[in-house]
Amino acid sequence: MEGKVIVITSGKGGVGKTTATASIGAALAKEGKKVAVVDMDIGLRNLDVVMGLENRVVFNIVDVVRNKCRINQAAIRDRRIDNLFLIPASQSDNKDSISPEEMVTVCNEFRKEFDFTLMDCPAGIERGFENAVAGADEAVVVCTPEVSSVRDADRIIGLLYAKKITPKLIVNRIIPSMVEKGDMLSHEDVVDVLSVDLIGLVEMDDQVIVSTNTGSPLVMNKESKAGVAFSRIAMRLNGQPDLPIDIPKSQEGFFSKIGRKIGIRK
Amino acid sequence: MMLNDLISKWRGSKKGSGQTAKQRLQCAIVYDNLEVSDDVLISLKKDIIDVLSKYFRIDSQAISLDIERSPDSSSLVLNTPILSTIRR
Repeated sequence: MEGKVIVITSGKGGVGKTTATASIGAALAKEGKKVAVVDMDIGLRNLDVVMGLENRVVFNIVDVVRNKCRINQAAIRDRRIDNLFLIPASQSDNKDSISPEEMVTVCNEFRKEFDFTLMDCPAGIERGFENAVAGADEAVVVCTPEVSSVRDADRIIGLLYAKKITPKLIVNRIIPSMVEKGDMLSHEDVVDVLSVDLIGLVEMDDQVIVSTNTGSPLVMNKESKAGVAFSRIAMRLNGQPDLPIDIPKSQEGFFSKIGRKIGIRK
Repeated sequence: MMLNDLISKWRGSKKGSGQTAKQRLQCAIVYDNLEVSDDVLISLKKDIIDVLSKYFRIDSQAISLDIERSPDSSSLVLNTPILSTIRR
């Protein structure tokens, strides 16, 4: 059976696409699938450092597209997680170096070799986005509960529909205490505005920064709430679409909650 | 916390900034979706000329097609002189 190509996109930059790609990829591989994560941010390579594989880059996706090497030559095997491979971006080329048509061809090759291929899409709606989406079967849109991110997500969702892809949504960096206070868009608000299906809710988690600092996979850390959330998103992508979605809740104590309700605490 | 804040909190009338964000977003997105690019307008004009030409002899150079915006609505305005109808 042929594998699936899934693009992880957002429109706005800095909302957690790369972390999501690395984490979902690692979680899928832990479930025994053969996974390729592809950095499509040509010219601004980052997925390699986030995954801690930056010292092993030899070939890149542009080399694959130009037939300078085969996919399995460019793919860097993660030594901590079996069946997880990174295809890095080129740092010296730019988004115009490859075309959407070429990506469609390359994606067909990926489908033959991997169960899942995750495309880490660059920010923006230009050529880089077109390249990352061209060969994709499915799309996951990442947004944070902020006006700028949600508006950009709406734009991206429109563009994906135009390409006959129905995306699924991850709301990332939820701060439950702010949502409970009414000072942050809740996931219901975001879903209301975007009218799209959810695939996961991820809480703001300091462990994300710790794991990118060290280049270790977030999903290996069982203490990390974000890591657990990404693992469950991976399970939903991997044949368990109805796995319940946990709603992040604050750890606030009973008395401070009462205090806040009656107005003696912020 | 000021007394006014306290009272409004008890009465439950104070909305968090999250709801403001939601309303602003919904408005912004409605407006975003009303924007029509020049490319779309040009290809729409071409299609309209094709359709009209089945029924009327028209001067395709004289057609004007514009989006007119007022604060509460957007409309598509087409103007074309008819040279003659096509009898069938």
